[in-house]
Amino acid sequence: MGRPPERVEPVLHNRLAVLRAERGLSRQELAAALGVNYQTIGYLERGEYNPSLDLALRAAEYFGIPVEAIFSRRPFTPMSAQLYAGSARAE
Amino acid sequence: MIPRLEPRRALRIDRMTRRTRRIVSGATLLGLPAMYAWSSFWTGTSVPRIIWGPIVFLLIGVTLVGAFVLYRYVRDRADMRAATLDERQRQLRDRAWILSYQVLAAVVVFAIAAVAIAVLGFGRTVTLDGSLTSALAISVGVLLPLLPAAALAWVEPDAPEDV
Repeated sequence: MGRPPERVEPVLHNRLAVLRAERGLSRQELAAALGVNYQTIGYLERGEYNPSLDLALRAAEYFGIPVEAIFSRRPFTPMSAQLYAGSARAE
Repeated sequence: MIPRLEPRRALRIDRMTRRTRRIVSGATLLGLPAMYAWSSFWTGTSVPRIIWGPIVFLLIGVTLVGAFVLYRYVRDRADMRAATLDERQRQLRDRAWILSYQVLAAVVVFAIAAVAIAVLGFGRTVTLDGSLTSALAISVGVLLPLLPAAALAWVEPDAPEDV
């Protein structure tokens, strides 16, 4: 019999790492902008911590995109695949 | 208002893995009780004092060094009045306090059960004399304030790699 998993809350998928890389931000810079400890950004990106609604909304406000574009209960499709699908539709 | 949280330079103690932290927490909390258990065992044996002494100092040292490491690692993050913690750190601190109360309740229940079994089951007499009272007072005085810090070091997951 294996050890029971420590995590009980459902995983919340997010695009924080992609958005941060896209804007050339370090974890420290994003953490300072959102008012959290820089390690919290790492835990969020690793999916080991689910943000409060307040923090999720602050992230959405900071990146200027809807909150559901950053956090989702289902895994995100890669941005490249979404872009390619979008350009294929346009043609 | 959102507190501004500046990153600080990570020391070796800050980078301890959870496994190491759990070993330190366990050893710190067990060092002092182990010293009293060893001393109590020693009085009924013919083991020379030259052996008893170093073991006592070693066990006290484990608790003292462990306490220093834990306080250095945790800093004010187990403090209920800390104002600079973010939501994840507050959540972790609350988990640590819950674990502390659970451990404390388990220790109290175990101690009462052990005394009850010794007195009622085996007809032994438990006397609350000066040495037992001072041992209890020192253990409670040292270990009780340490419990939330040890619990926080125990529950905190490994930190993500800096990128």
